[in-house]
Amino acid sequence: MALHFSSAHPISALHPLLCFFLHDTYPEMEYASGLQRQLASMKKNLFDQGYLDEQFYQLEELQDESSPNFVEEVVTLFFRDSSRLVANIDQALQKYPQDFRRLDNFMHQLKGSASSIGAAKMKNECTSFREFCNKENREGCLRSFQKVKKEHAVLKQKLENYFQLLKQVGPVDKATHSGN
Amino acid sequence: MDPSRAASTPSYGPPGDGGGPAPEFPAGLRVLLVDDDPTCLKILDRMLRKCLYDVTTCSRAAVALSTLREKKGWFDLVLSDVYMPDMDGFKLLEHIGLEMDLPVIMMSADDHKDVVMKGVTHGACDYIIKPVRMESLKNIWQHVVRKKRNELKELENSGSVEEDDKHKRSLDDGDNASSGCVGNWKNAKRKKEEEEEEMVEEHDDSSNTKKPRVVWSVDLHQQFVTAVNQLGVDKAVPKKILELMNVAGLTRENVASHLQKYRLYLRRVSVPQHHSRFDAHFASAQEVTYNSIGSVSGYDFQALAASTQLLPHNIAALHSGPRSATNTGMGVSAIDQIGFLNSGKQVTNSSNIISSSVQQINSRQMSDIHGPSNNIELNQHGQSQQVVQPFGSINRQFGEGTTKFFSSPSSELTNFSLPRGTINGQPNNSLARHMNQHGQQFPISQQRSNMEITWQGQGLPRSRGQLLTETACHDSRLVSALLQQVPSNNIPNHVSGGLETSANMLTSLPANYMNASCSTSPQALYPDVHNSFITGLAGSCYPRVSSIGATPQTGSVKALSNSSNLKGMDNHVPNYDIIAEQHQNKSQDWKLQNVNLPYQSGQNLRHGQSTIDCRSSLMGNQDSTSSAKNGFNGNAGTVVKNIISTGSDTDKEKRECIVQHKTNLVENCNRVTYDGIPDFSYQDILFEDNIITNELMNVVRKQQQEGIEQVDNEFNFNPPV
Repeated sequence: MALHFSSAHPISALHPLLCFFLHDTYPEMEYASGLQRQLASMKKNLFDQGYLDEQFYQLEELQDESSPNFVEEVVTLFFRDSSRLVANIDQALQKYPQDFRRLDNFMHQLKGSASSIGAAKMKNECTSFREFCNKENREGCLRSFQKVKKEHAVLKQKLENYFQLLKQVGPVDKATHSGN
Repeated sequence: MDPSRAASTPSYGPPGDGGGPAPEFPAGLRVLLVDDDPTCLKILDRMLRKCLYDVTTCSRAAVALSTLREKKGWFDLVLSDVYMPDMDGFKLLEHIGLEMDLPVIMMSADDHKDVVMKGVTHGACDYIIKPVRMESLKNIWQHVVRKKRNELKELENSGSVEEDDKHKRSLDDGDNASSGCVGNWKNAKRKKEEEEEEMVEEHDDSSNTKKPRVVWSVDLHQQFVTAVNQLGVDKAVPKKILELMNVAGLTRENVASHLQKYRLYLRRVSVPQHHSRFDAHFASAQEVTYNSIGSVSGYDFQALAASTQLLPHNIAALHSGPRSATNTGMGVSAIDQIGFLNSGKQVTNSSNIISSSVQQINSRQMSDIHGPSNNIELNQHGQSQQVVQPFGSINRQFGEGTTKFFSSPSSELTNFSLPRGTINGQPNNSLARHMNQHGQQFPISQQRSNMEITWQGQGLPRSRGQLLTETACHDSRLVSALLQQVPSNNIPNHVSGGLETSANMLTSLPANYMNASCSTSPQALYPDVHNSFITGLAGSCYPRVSSIGATPQTGSVKALSNSSNLKGMDNHVPNYDIIAEQHQNKSQDWKLQNVNLPYQSGQNLRHGQSTIDCRSSLMGNQDSTSSAKNGFNGNAGTVVKNIISTGSDTDKEKRECIVQHKTNLVENCNRVTYDGIPDFSYQDILFEDNIITNELMNVVRKQQQEGIEQVDNEFNFNPPV
């Protein structure tokens, strides 16, 4: 440190000034980096807790300038479509006698789309639902479906938060780019 | 042909196609994406675009199909989901295979082996498990290249194939002129298509104006398939189909072209996939799924030939085969359906084909037999001799297949069947010939015939009359009959000699039947074998004969005629035959199951030699190892030994079967009749798997029969006319 403050080094000498300048011009930058950290940790949690798997990264890789919000669009689409499916399954479960084949078909669809966005936990619940379905275990189906619904709702909430945060970070991100 | 073909391939065609691939090759690949799930559709669309493909998306299969029809020749590749509400992905696959021969990649979150296999057997060039990753889409262009290359190869071979087809048809039915036309037309049509393809590449519009196109809707195609099935795939002639369909505005040419494509489709479905999978089957039987059986049959010939272990004539026979190709295709489809329990038109078709082929074989074999195999004891029944040969082959097939199936758990069983199926095909051929050569074996067959299989129906022997009627009936009836029987059979208890239930299975020709039996009760399949064998000693010879005839009957009208001949011998005969066949099949299956062994031995002893012999002959093929040892006249004692040995050997057999086949082929000819396998034991085993396996066996058997028959015919008779 002492060396740094010795003014022998031109860059060291400029450093405080530089910092001040940047901070002054882009005051949101520090705030942004905080947000970014928050965003990163939120995302990490989603993975660590098993809500998402690496298929989600596949989606992110598909996002580029030509479709800057691709991931969010897909996720939105997923929740719109899956809500419909969940409602269908809900209805089918109310009916008696149970049409397990139909239930299984619905759940297969749900599982397919869940897996395609990397919704790992949901996918797993869907899988166990289908197992009950194949055993024609109504109780198991009902129980399992509650879990599916729960995971669906939880994931939806978490991803909504995530994308909201992403949006807040987004503009900053651009600013950073332009700043450089 | 080749040059024109090469010229017609798209600019990005595979290397060696004529034009080198354009540098940007996979870019611009025109892909039709079909998925009802909007999320997946969006993601996949994006992924494909990332790969620089030219993507068209579609959320409904029906729309996809009409798009494909509208823009025929435009797309290079179809990527389709399996489960779609409006149309099953496999159905779409079938239509695409039928109408445009595009590489189709199926995808689904369902990674069950049977579903994947179904995709493969239906002609999908790949099956991608969802979620789909970029890596799996990056290289899908290779399927386009591969397809083109295969088409090239096919074209090279097509000339002879078509000739054979034509020849065969002209032999079969009197309608030589029309069949000839079809053949010629085929050639013309192919060229035309190629030209068209080229045209499409250059000017998109011209192709549609070239000739009026009939849109083969699902309904229309259904009608077509029904008509073809009614006529028998091999005998179906455009003119007759047209009459049967009775659709206004449809011309003979329309039907002819569709028929052509349909045949190609059937063949394609069976043949192409085998190559890649064959080795796998051998290496790990467990991995193989049911479907593989079908593929195996197609594949076997080549594989065997390659091994060089096959007898020269066998190989020749195998190669001879356009017919074999078709057969295999048929068989494959049937198998698939069976495996999946789906009722399939294809299955029925296959049965028809089989029957026709059987008929041909019979006639040919008759002549053959008379020559080489005068020794045959069966002489009593001239017809029976003919029958015998087919039986021999059949038996082997069954035996091998069944043993494998039974011995292993359900999944394994199916797996096993595949390798054997392939193996069987060749052995059968050899067997059939051998049979002819060695009359000695025939006595055994007679014994077999003696085995009267009573319907297991609770130990009560069913009236032969019923059987006869049932068999006489077309597939549908058979199915129903079988179904009825099955439930009644429920008795798991004892294996009595009668494999009656199996008989049902044998009849299994119709896919429906297969399904029905499966659905109703797997247990039923395992009928108690009753000692019913005794019943038919006198008729024994007949049964075999009849059985041969019987198969044809189920399949086609001609078969009936054959059977009728048999009937002349004995009223009961036809029934017997069918039963006999069934017995064989089942028996084999049962044998596979070790459980049966004790029963069999006991039963055999009771029944006496005659019963034993019958079975042994039937079964013999299966147990290659044991059979070799057995004396065919089969004292009861010997039979028992065989049984025992088989039981213990089952595992060995599985492994050995393949190997043995090579060596056995020659030996088998002799052995075929001898090998006494304890069929009776089956009953005890109630595994559901058995049913499936039975069905599979039946299918395999049919295929093999077809294959054998064809081979024989070709081999022996090749150049008639």
